[in-house]
Amino acid sequence: MARREPLRALVLAGRFFRIGALNELQYRANFAMQLFQSAIALGTGLAVLALVFGQTTELNGWSQPELLIVMGVHILMGGVIATLIQPNMVRLMEDIRLGTLDFVLTKPDDAQVLVSVREIRIWQAVDWLVGAVVILFGVTQLPVSIGPGQAFAFGLAFVLGGLTIYCFWLILTVGAFWVVRMDQIVELFDGVYQSGRWPVTIYPGWLRVSLTFLVPIAFAVTVPAQALTGRLTPDTLALAAGFAVALLAFTRWWWRFGLRRYAGASA
Amino acid sequence: MTGRVAISSEAEPDRFLPRAGLIRGWLDLYLTMFRIAILNNIHYRVANYFYMIGMVAEPVIYLVVWSTIARQHGGQVGGFTAGQFAAYYIVWTLVRQMNIIFTPYGWEERIRQGGLSAMLLQPLFPIHRDIADLAGWKLVTIVLWLPIAAVLTLLFSPELSVRPIDVAVFAIAIWGAYLVRTMLYWMLGMVSFWTTRVGPIFQLVFAAELLLSGRLVPLSLMPEWAQRLADLLPFKWTFGFPIEALVGHLTEGALLRGLAMQLVWIVIGTIGVRIVWHFAIRHYSAVNG
Amino acid sequence: MSSPRTPGSQPAIHVAGLRKTFHVPVREAGLKAAFKSLVRRETREIRAVDDIGFEIGAGEIVGFLGPNGAGKTTTLKMLSGLLYPTSGEALVLGHVPSRREGAFLRRMTMVMGNRNQLQWDLPALDSFELIRAIYRLQPVDFRRTRDEFIEMLDLGELVNKPVRNLSLGERMKVEIVGALLHRPQVLFLDEPTLGLDVTMQKRIRTFIADYNRRYDATVLLTSHYMADVQALCRRVIVIHHGRILHDGELAELGVRFDATKTIGVTLKEGVADLSAYGDVISSDEGRVTLRVSRAAAPEVATRLLRDLQVADLTIEDPPIEDVIERVFASGHGEPGEEDAAANAAPSAVIEQR
Repeated sequence: MARREPLRALVLAGRFFRIGALNELQYRANFAMQLFQSAIALGTGLAVLALVFGQTTELNGWSQPELLIVMGVHILMGGVIATLIQPNMVRLMEDIRLGTLDFVLTKPDDAQVLVSVREIRIWQAVDWLVGAVVILFGVTQLPVSIGPGQAFAFGLAFVLGGLTIYCFWLILTVGAFWVVRMDQIVELFDGVYQSGRWPVTIYPGWLRVSLTFLVPIAFAVTVPAQALTGRLTPDTLALAAGFAVALLAFTRWWWRFGLRRYAGASA
Repeated sequence: MTGRVAISSEAEPDRFLPRAGLIRGWLDLYLTMFRIAILNNIHYRVANYFYMIGMVAEPVIYLVVWSTIARQHGGQVGGFTAGQFAAYYIVWTLVRQMNIIFTPYGWEERIRQGGLSAMLLQPLFPIHRDIADLAGWKLVTIVLWLPIAAVLTLLFSPELSVRPIDVAVFAIAIWGAYLVRTMLYWMLGMVSFWTTRVGPIFQLVFAAELLLSGRLVPLSLMPEWAQRLADLLPFKWTFGFPIEALVGHLTEGALLRGLAMQLVWIVIGTIGVRIVWHFAIRHYSAVNG
Repeated sequence: MSSPRTPGSQPAIHVAGLRKTFHVPVREAGLKAAFKSLVRRETREIRAVDDIGFEIGAGEIVGFLGPNGAGKTTTLKMLSGLLYPTSGEALVLGHVPSRREGAFLRRMTMVMGNRNQLQWDLPALDSFELIRAIYRLQPVDFRRTRDEFIEMLDLGELVNKPVRNLSLGERMKVEIVGALLHRPQVLFLDEPTLGLDVTMQKRIRTFIADYNRRYDATVLLTSHYMADVQALCRRVIVIHHGRILHDGELAELGVRFDATKTIGVTLKEGVADLSAYGDVISSDEGRVTLRVSRAAAPEVATRLLRDLQVADLTIEDPPIEDVIERVFASGHGEPGEEDAAANAAPSAVIEQR
């Protein structure tokens, strides 16, 4: 059972994706709005970069194209979070609050997988496109072109980063539910996530550590960006992998723990 | 039982306050509304705190970026040292709190859910309720802000030297900023009377404000043309000016000029609100009621 | 309804030729229609209120009856200033409502069932203070009025509890107090007892009646509960499809629109099939209820008494709800032809033991 789960998760995810996409595609107005919003956010981000590079040629060792790549990864990962992760977490929060989580628990599939893949906000995927374009543009401006090894490392780092953020979100949703309301967590996260716009290395020590292990922005954005800019060391990649695996295991345990508490509470 | 009423404006009995007590009446009204706003918001202080802590992320990020650049360039950039950036962005957090107004997105709900009709039945122009409500909230958040400011000061070592006149002008300017922004976004929000597709319009204005108000960076770091544009628009007077009043060692002339500009924009805003309101209510009363 | 006016005085509410027309976009299904609508927006005209007129004097309580969509709420909104009329004139206490003058707003109030004007998280007393400040009421006078209302509705400690902790009925009571604190002379009440239990409905009704008596206030009230109308209103205005069908005493409604009477027969023993005498509405435990035309009622009663062993026989006007229902169901609701004939013949109400 334990070995088949990842595969099953993908199958389920695929099914929910189709349904979610069909649903959302009805609302064409959302597409235009999302496009506009992303355009404005991109414009603002570029304006900031322009301002910074009006005053200096490099930030903490990162050149202009390299910072562009960081921004691109930030947008891309942000799109992934907004499309795949946040909607599920928000729904999970609602289910816990209203007690409707039971419907999920009675299904034959693994509950954690179900609550993690059933929701999708397809229009946020505009950011995937925008982020990818920015990354590509940044990459073309690099003095040294990247090889397949780097590209692969980037892909791996990105996936690991995504999984790490997913774990963070699930831990927060299950744990913080009893303390505070969800919309505040979303706002709080969005605020902290903005720190990923810049390489985490610029932040003072204590902040850098927090943004790596407390709120894993570093693994989500900086590390994949490092892969594309030739900064990624095998040590860092191994750390990212190790951290992701450990976090997944902890999340699994935490989920089970929270579920027992929930079942106890609603009985 | 007469079946007829005598219509005469002098027949207004003793139950209403005389017109002579107009100022006192307004004072009484605002104090009552403040009291209610404070009572309402003390209720939600935990939520408020979360909100405020979330707000701190933005300026801290800017602060770190610009301090880094400053350090790379021999200690200062654009006339600001790292310590001065710290001062700018810590004061920023207070000004940001003071800036919060009734969101233009709120008009949609107000119109469709009937809140507006309830307001129209009372003899009070609704903007007063919004102004007083959020002003009361700010009185609570100013207190909540102090520990946050203390922590930020410990972490980022701001350089700050203020003169009494700076403090005095700052104290007035933060409320002036609030009023300017209230008028501005009331006008913007009333677009909701004519369309539901308000998102793009609001986003554009917010983006312009972000770039041209001094929220992103101190305005002196912006290119010349942007600074001149910022002088013409109201945004600078709601954000950059109050901050610089306290941290920027402005000349007395500049300080007074800033307050005067705030007044100008308040007057423009008041007239604008009146005009847009007139058309908005005409539209509303023709269609919805 | 009208009496000679003395100069310088007018009815509390004056409505003449009032119209409200809405233009609603028409959209058909299908691709072709969608394209057409891009080029030219077709609209349909809806006459929500179509040439109505009436006058209400100070101190009257008038019931405003009509099915959903008849134009009641639209009329109330026009009279309270929320909606601009398309044409015609409306004057409330001498003011044009749509001008929303301060003097007008201070002397009127509108209570709509689902509107909450009180602060949700705070005790009602705090909200009352806000009302005092908004209407600029004299503090001493205000406190007296407030305490008087609190006592009339027996609110006691309820005003000290946050409004969200009150039950629906309690909330309605404090909302009504809030709406009347400035002692308005004109009250527009849109379904004030909606969703309340019977006891609470009676309480509110009594309160409105007391307020009307004490302050000579004019009340225009809509309700789906006939009990409200029958308890409070001597006069009703019936509106349907935007037009007034009836403006007069409640009792007259039955006379004008229902050409029938209800005959209740209890037989001394056994049951009998009385369908030959008229429409059998109900038949249980020996009591049969018949509906017969107004003109035929005396004759049918005589035949029943003659043909059968009758223990008890009553002739009554049909319940007012039925009348109203049939007025609306008939669509146009013009008094039927038969009424003209019936009114020519004398009708006698016979009641026997």
